[in-house]
This record gives sequence, structure tokens and C-alpha cells, in this order.
Amino acid sequence: MKHSKLYPTLVTVLLLCAAPILMSAAKVGEPAPGFTGTASNGKTYRLSDYRGKFVVLEWHNNGCPYVGKHYNSGNMQRLQKQWTGRGVVWFTILSSAPGKQGFVSASEENEYLAKEQAAPTAALLDPTGEIGHLYDAKTSPQMVVINPQGVVIYDGAIDDKPTTDLADIPVATNYVSLALDAAMAGKEVATAATRPYGCSVKYGDSSH
Amino acid sequence: MVLCATESRAAGTPIPHGTVELISEIQSIAAGRPLYLGLHFQLERGWHIYWVNPGDSGEPPRVKWDLPKGVSVGAIEWPTPRRLGTPSIVDFGYEDDVMLIVPVRVDAGFAAQKEARVGAEVKVLVCREMCIPGKAEVSVSLPVKPSQPVPERETSALFAAARKSMPRPAPASWRFRVIDGKDSFELVAEVGHQITQASFFPLAESQIKNAGPQDIVPTSTGFRLKLTKSDQLLKPIERLQGVLVLSADKAYSIDVPVGKPGAAKNSSGNEIRSTQSSESSKEVTQK
Repeated sequence: MKHSKLYPTLVTVLLLCAAPILMSAAKVGEPAPGFTGTASNGKTYRLSDYRGKFVVLEWHNNGCPYVGKHYNSGNMQRLQKQWTGRGVVWFTILSSAPGKQGFVSASEENEYLAKEQAAPTAALLDPTGEIGHLYDAKTSPQMVVINPQGVVIYDGAIDDKPTTDLADIPVATNYVSLALDAAMAGKEVATAATRPYGCSVKYGDSSH
Repeated sequence: MVLCATESRAAGTPIPHGTVELISEIQSIAAGRPLYLGLHFQLERGWHIYWVNPGDSGEPPRVKWDLPKGVSVGAIEWPTPRRLGTPSIVDFGYEDDVMLIVPVRVDAGFAAQKEARVGAEVKVLVCREMCIPGKAEVSVSLPVKPSQPVPERETSALFAAARKSMPRPAPASWRFRVIDGKDSFELVAEVGHQITQASFFPLAESQIKNAGPQDIVPTSTGFRLKLTKSDQLLKPIERLQGVLVLSADKAYSIDVPVGKPGAAKNSSGNEIRSTQSSESSKEVTQK
């Protein structure tokens, strides 16, 4: 397994420099860009606090039919419960800009989480798109898996069925679970990057 | 729908913010005679659907056919797409009015006597700022007639426009190669004259960074176009396929082997294709 030998401070400096020019800072096999996010529960979460744990990032937009497929079927909640139950830290990230589809207030998000019986570690509100751009997140539900060494080991789609069809879920291969299963068993992640299907992330730079 | 078998075309079937209809270029079918169908989408202003490679988000229309015995459909022909989206998220698709063409084969043993119905279940994602999935059942019924009727004018015009919107094979004299760099592919074109404007639409997803710059360097005999690799591309690719657009109306399908700069054939040791004249300069036969 590859370990990053970079000092954390150096990584931070590199990331701060890289973020404004919109180059993707997150890449499979490379250190996950650090971020600090405010969650709908009011707490602040810092990625670097979770070294030593697997971390899943899930891009979310409650109006997106691809996201709806995974929540209406209970698939996303199942994954959240399954993996947080095994010690994985799961951040749902909302990068919709104010006025765009999927933008919600903290209390609206808390209502949504309760209604959907969702079980992420936290839902991070990212209305400036800072975390989204740091990971070059293109879609909801794009998924990223970070290993305990802080390296990105998966970036892409939630599964291999890029549709809005609920009927596809039982027959889909879930890339997030495959990555976590393999990495936890000390194996290499066979499918480490895929096209992250879904709705475009509704950043503030959208033209409409 | 037998009711609709009249001279004029039926109205389109609703999809979110638009309609879709299935039309036949000629209004009859006969054993052994190929024909073309069109899936004609008309969208409200500002809404779009997707190319076969949708780009960073979205998905292409998907069709499930319901065909009479002895009838089969070929690969959908997709018009040249447009770049859509935002500076950071780039999609490939169509706005307003677009028709996909579907080649249809009719076996010599096709035995229907009076009429053949071709049905299609179309699943399509229609997006503007937000996306709405839609589904439509469309069909066309064709009388069985050995003589080939003259296509009606409106239908002819639609097919003519659709064919004009398709990328063409590049001229046989043109030569392309792709140099596989660390973070980019360089598409080198030798066309016999200088080209100053080019953009590339990749047929496969996750090969190039859709929102990345495509910097062109005109040469006296063509151009070199630098394409940033996708972050999702972790393994070498053998071929770069896609549509090259040189100006608004000039679009070409290309399929180019990828070669390492100055290096031998890639480590996976694939066969040398007949179209490759040498390892360093790989020529391409257009489809």
C-alpha cells in the first residue's frame, strides 16, 4: 500500500495553491485534499481529524433524480449504515449554491436526514462549492473513498448502472462497497476510478 | 397504432419539456429492403438531451425496441453534439430539435403480409438547470409493399437535415496520430493545409477532461491539438475515438491509435493492426 511521505503542512500549502485555479486536486492514488466543513448539525468537521479511518464522501442534491433513485430505494441509507457500522466516516456533501437545486438550510437538511432515515456521520453544507471544487466533484451522487493513510482510493460513480431507474439497484455492482471491501482486506481496489454519473453539481458558476 | 397510418405524421409523444416521435423515411416495408428510422426529439427552449457520451453529467437516450420477426436495428447514428454546461462541468448534447437515425435491416425471409409495427420504449433524461427523466412509448406502422414509395416531402427534409448534422468520415488522404503524454494526449493531424480551429468530442467517457482546455497549434499542413487526460483515466488506452469539429459545419468521425512518444508498442503487447503502417506513425482508416 502506498503511503504519503509528505508532511501534512506541505500538503496543505500545495492544496491551498491548487484550489483557486480549479485544477482537480483529488486524484486516485494521491493524498485527499484537506477541508474543514460545517455540518447541518452545527458542528465543524476537519478531514485531517479522521486519519486512521476510512472516509467516504457522497455528493448530494435532494432534487436530483439520480440521488432520488438511491434514497427512495433506501440504497444510500443502507450503505451509510453498513459502512459507518464498520467504523467508516461518511460525509454527505451539499455543494449546491444558494438559489440552485439542492441548496438547503441546515434545518431543512436535518429534516431531510430524519425523513429519509439517512445515517451519514454528518452532512456538510458547502454552498460556496469549495469542497466540491477541491475534489472536482462533477455530479451527485459522486462518491470518493479515502483510506486511513489519507489517500484517495476511489473516485467516481456509486455503481455501474448510470440510470435513474430504481430497478437497476439490485443488479448493480456497487463501486463504493467494492473499494471498501478490498481495501479493508488489504487488497488493491480493482476499479479505482469511474465516470461519476448523475446530475451536474449546481455550483455558483453555473451559466443558468 | 393503425389509426395513425395516414399521410401526415402524428404529433410527437410528450417527454419532459418536449416531444419525441418515431418516423420512417419511407412509408412501407419489404423483405430484404433496408430502411431508416428517425427518433425525432423536439425540446422546449433551453432544455437539452445528451449525446452517446454525455460528458460530465447526464445520460444518453436509451431505446428498447419492439420489432417484428425478421426486422433488426443497427447502431444509432448520433448527430454532432454541442458543448453544454458550465465552465467546470461540460456536457455533450443537443438542444431544440435533433433526430437520431436508426438503420433497420429487413431479412429476405421477412414474412409479414399486411403491416409491420416497429415500437420503441425511449428513456431520456431532459435537463436544463435540473434534470427530469422521461419515458415514452413510440411506434411506427408500415404497410408491406414491394414497391418503394417516394418519401413524403416533410419526412425527406427531416432526414436530409439529420444526415447533414452527422459527422462524416474524414477524407481518405488525411492522417492522424495521437501521442500519449503524461497528462495529455496530443492529436496530430496532417490534412494538407493549415487548420486554425478544432475541437474534439471523445466517444468514450473518462478519457479526456471534458472541461479542460483544447489548445490548438496550427501547422502548415494541419494542426496539433492538446487534450488533457481525465482524472478517471488510470490505464493506457489503445485508441482515441470521437468527433472532430473544425468549424460549425465540418465534423468528422475519427478513430486513432494511441502511441507513446518514441516508445515501442505499449506493454500489453497488443496485435499490430493492419491500418498501422509503423509503430511511430500510425495511420488511420476512417470508418
